[in-house]
Amino acid sequence: MGNSKYLGLYLLAPAGVFVFLFFLAPVILTAVFGFTNMSTATGISGGSYVASQSSMLALRDRYGLDDISEQLTTVRYTIDEEGLAAALEAGADPATVNELGDTFLGQSYETRRDVERAIKTLNARPSSVRAIKAIAGQFERSVANTRYETEDEILGAIAEFGIELTETESAAIIDVTYTGWVFTTQNFKTMFSLPDTKKTMINTLFYVFTTLILFNVGFALVLAISTHYMDSGPAGFFRSVWLLPRITPPVLYVLMWKWLAWDSGFLSVMLEPLGFEPRNWMLDSPTNAWTFIILINGMVGASMGMLIFSSAIKAIPEALFHASEVDGATRRQQIWHIIMPQLRWPILFITSYQTLSLLTSFEYILLATDGGPGGATEVWALTTYLKALSNYGGALQYGYGAALSLVLVVIGITLSLIYLKVFNFKDLTAKPKIE
Amino acid sequence: MTLNKKMLAALVTTSMLALGTGAAFAEDYTISVWSGGSGPNDNYRIDAIALAATLLEQEAAVRGEELNITIEGKPFTQWDEFKQAVTLAAEAGTAPNIVVAGHEDIASWAQSGLIVPIEDYVDLDAWPINDIYPNLMDISSFNGEVWGLPQDAESRPFFFWKDHMRGIGYTDAQIDALPAMIASGEYTLANVLEDAKKIQDAGLVEEGHGFYPRVSNGPDYWQFYTSFGGTIENDDGKLVFDRAAMTAFYQFFVDAVDLGVTGKNHIGTPWDQWYSEVANGQAGLWHGGTWHYARYTGKEGLDDFFGNIQFALIPGGGDNGQANTLTHPLVYLLTEQEDETATEIAAQLVAIASEPRINALHAIKSAHLGISMSESSVGLYSGDRWAREATERLLPHATAMPNNVSFGQYWEVMWGGLEASWTGQKSVEDAINDVETELRAALGDKIVIQ
Repeated sequence: MGNSKYLGLYLLAPAGVFVFLFFLAPVILTAVFGFTNMSTATGISGGSYVASQSSMLALRDRYGLDDISEQLTTVRYTIDEEGLAAALEAGADPATVNELGDTFLGQSYETRRDVERAIKTLNARPSSVRAIKAIAGQFERSVANTRYETEDEILGAIAEFGIELTETESAAIIDVTYTGWVFTTQNFKTMFSLPDTKKTMINTLFYVFTTLILFNVGFALVLAISTHYMDSGPAGFFRSVWLLPRITPPVLYVLMWKWLAWDSGFLSVMLEPLGFEPRNWMLDSPTNAWTFIILINGMVGASMGMLIFSSAIKAIPEALFHASEVDGATRRQQIWHIIMPQLRWPILFITSYQTLSLLTSFEYILLATDGGPGGATEVWALTTYLKALSNYGGALQYGYGAALSLVLVVIGITLSLIYLKVFNFKDLTAKPKIE
Repeated sequence: MTLNKKMLAALVTTSMLALGTGAAFAEDYTISVWSGGSGPNDNYRIDAIALAATLLEQEAAVRGEELNITIEGKPFTQWDEFKQAVTLAAEAGTAPNIVVAGHEDIASWAQSGLIVPIEDYVDLDAWPINDIYPNLMDISSFNGEVWGLPQDAESRPFFFWKDHMRGIGYTDAQIDALPAMIASGEYTLANVLEDAKKIQDAGLVEEGHGFYPRVSNGPDYWQFYTSFGGTIENDDGKLVFDRAAMTAFYQFFVDAVDLGVTGKNHIGTPWDQWYSEVANGQAGLWHGGTWHYARYTGKEGLDDFFGNIQFALIPGGGDNGQANTLTHPLVYLLTEQEDETATEIAAQLVAIASEPRINALHAIKSAHLGISMSESSVGLYSGDRWAREATERLLPHATAMPNNVSFGQYWEVMWGGLEASWTGQKSVEDAINDVETELRAALGDKIVIQ
């Protein structure tokens, strides 16, 4: 087959599509969104141009264009021939239009409500509210509060109503009336100028590395090695027990921790006779909160390392252990000289994998402390979630959230590269001497 | 106006055609309604729309038309998940026809085009809309347009457990005089801390239960900023960060913690526990909302509300501020939809649901306040002591949060600072400095810092 050298590529193509769609595209989009001011108020899908009171306020404050702002904000409705013709063309009842012209031609109004009131006095008034509003709309002679889809439309409308603009003025109007998002580097400026950013970063690093060293790698090693020296029955039971936190639904799992720590919970009840005031043990102080968060995450995280390390230990030829025992090696020497060297690769894997997953994981923190007390346990991923997707005020800042996650992506990649260097990836993957 | 002229022309043409041909064929509509912050007592936020649908169908039948409306309701108990769901659904093009949201959502949703002004679809001069309290109509407006119709009104009172007040030496007459003393500024937040401490020292309530505030973020906290003379928005429509008022407000809660009358980790206390405690005399002084009445006397089993609890405005903070309360009306909003006719039907349903008799069902069941003048003449409403007294004592003093695009961000920053100082993570001064830095960075010229 002449094409056989491309066969591999063909076979990989579907996977490539998925990698692109689900891994690369989100990162690229995050990077793009990170440089925008996208939020609830701007929407995601684009904006329009509206000369509203607030945009006119901005025109005054930012550009000093008081006169134009005044002119554009003024709503005007005039009953004129043009409007009457347009109403007829739009299908309004000729009787209504004629009576309207006869009675009110030349009159001007400040609000549509006034025009509607005028129409409602007619004998031939339309019966539906919608038809009255449609006729009233034909007499609007100002741009205030109308949504225009393009720059040209709004500028055209302004010109049509007899307001002449210079180029700078037009640009200013476009700037303040646009309701959609724009590209900006403001997110990063804001991020670096905020005092809480540094604290959140320190929190994140503390959370990731403490959990990682104590539990995801450290305790996992202890579990794997200790179960290795047990009989297979108890060892299996012991490992299964440690898998329980991982297979419990997170909400339930955290709820159990909360019951343990509430001021009327298990800990308070048990400790009260010993002279400790009942309190919410989890949120009592930052130290307590961190202890709980690391325990909650660590109990879940340790099981994965335990499984990987246990299977790696299982893969060590038994003969090595027997031989070392014949040579009089102690358990400690076995661990140090036989097990640990064989675990280098799994430890690298667990370390980098768990670093990345801890960096982005916030669900247990969200459920347990929600970053409290007072933001003491707020980590980067949680801040991102709260800013971009969930907050009480409903001001979701997609752009700022994306900028925050972009930082996580950069940290993740940097740490992975450092790990590869530290663990000497090349050595680990040296070509086997025997083919 | 949101409708552009072409659309209007098309609409008129179709409606004229429809009228001209005397269309007698059946029309089927499915109208979806999502309501936020809605507990079990708030079912009429959605059920009122269903009632309205029945009426609208019958009106159509009288005109000889067949109209079938199916209402699909979805209540959300939490605000954050509701706001997230609405915004994301709208971006995906699957927003519900009607949302029952806080009025403060109008600004950003209006700007992004998520909602359309209800004034484009209903006659503001017609009953029942012309009977709705004008200040509530203002709260439902933004940039000079009426975007929604008020769904309810409420206010957020300060509460005292009468027995505990007696326990520290108040006579019944003094307890009865409290609301007036608070309104006139004689009884201030300083007295609150003093009395809370006395109640606690007398062993009437546990440590940290003397003054027992709301356990999570909420509009309530702006009241304390107002108590110390803070303004949220100026006449120009710009947000205002009043450093002195915000400092005094944070300091008040820090003082409460230092005195031991409020817990350092009070925020985050489970709501169920909180309700059960305040409704059963386990707290001295606290604050809440008019709708708490329904919960205390309902689920929590408090038989004699008026015999056990005194209610009043939130006390002022001293010389600069004043006693106040906040009303946070929910509003019926219409979302931008492809099908304009469905939006028009939705608008009519909202208008009918605002009729006094229907709205009173919600007001009384959920212990909210009425939205219109004639609602107080509806038997169900006027016969309810709580609705009557709360309306009289609180509503005239009620302020509301502003409809401002950047307010949500300001709110989050304010809360972050309060939480940090309350829990002792930052000193009040540091918290205020950080809040100021963040507001400057995030809101720039949209906020006046004074």
